Amino acid sequence: MNLWKNFSQGIIRENPVLRLMIGLCPVLAVSNNATNALGMSIAVAFVLICSNCVVALIRKVTPGEIRIPIFIIIISTFVTMCDYVMHAYAPELYQALGVFVPLIVVNCIILGRAEAFAYKNPILNAFLDGAGMSLGFLLALVSIGVVREVLGAGSVFGVPLFEERIAATIMILPPGAFITIGCIMALLNRMEKKVL
Amino acid sequence: MGRIIKLGITLGIFCVLSAGLLAWVFLMTTPVIEANAKASFEGSLREVLPGAKTFKDVSVKGAKSQIYEGYADGKPVGLAVKVAPRGYAGEIEMLVGVDPELRVKGMKILSQRETPGLGTNMLKPKFIAQFIGKGVKDVLEPKKDIDALTGATISTRGVCEGVKAVLKDAEQYGKGKP
Repeated sequence: MNLWKNFSQGIIRENPVLRLMIGLCPVLAVSNNATNALGMSIAVAFVLICSNCVVALIRKVTPGEIRIPIFIIIISTFVTMCDYVMHAYAPELYQALGVFVPLIVVNCIILGRAEAFAYKNPILNAFLDGAGMSLGFLLALVSIGVVREVLGAGSVFGVPLFEERIAATIMILPPGAFITIGCIMALLNRMEKKVL
Repeated sequence: MGRIIKLGITLGIFCVLSAGLLAWVFLMTTPVIEANAKASFEGSLREVLPGAKTFKDVSVKGAKSQIYEGYADGKPVGLAVKVAPRGYAGEIEMLVGVDPELRVKGMKILSQRETPGLGTNMLKPKFIAQFIGKGVKDVLEPKKDIDALTGATISTRGVCEGVKAVLKDAEQYGKGKP
């Protein structure tokens, strides 16, 4: 039961983007279409799950005074690996995401989970926490990406839905990110109020 | 004092492990990255200069643009020139194919950082098609012989400047040859 809670809390109740509101910089920047949003979510999921597992694994041998530098080394190692692999095997996505792949290093979701959860819990719980948080991040980012792409470019995952001429270009420009994220947060809050 | 040394050693071990792992991944992926970049650039060369089978780098050292001469069955069939004019947000890297009569044969935007939804419309075939067949004598100005992109006149001007530069380079290259 506890394990399930570790996994599920990141999805809605403590959703990193819509609830904790951390790691918003890449969310705002790469959610201009659904494909980029999905690619970014997968990269973040890889780094978050791996770093959570490794931090939990070595927490007993990590001296408290230098835990933050050690976390940063672990996180940046996985980010750089992800960067190389993406550049080699998904060059188009790599170009679209640009600087936001290396910037996963400073994504506060990852350091936040390492410090707040993985450092204090065994590996299985840390893995589930990472997976749940990643899923929450993915759901939030992809839903923002889908809304912005449909309204701003008239397509979804690159498949055209209607004529681009009637699409509201503002939705794929930076203001569209703020508008969409605000509306989704409001919707989520309202839904939760009704359920409870 | 002993504590500091112990911490330093712990941190050092983590750094060494991390560096080793990264070196391995780097060695595994570099050949793939280089092969991809090469294949994709060669593909672009063929795209802008249809008919050419092999390309030779004939760029002048220190020049702003890179020139590739295309050959089919040993005969030159035109040039592909890479230029990077200024757009609205940074440089627009583009490749333009020019036939021996100094007319644009094909054009491809390699990379750009223009405004999404406005300047990025330069990637559309309809916009690119306007430049095909243009030569040194054409004015190549937005609102004259080129339809500017809505809300992105500066981006349009950038592309026009790029094509002009390519045609100029191609003309000079032609003159330089005996």
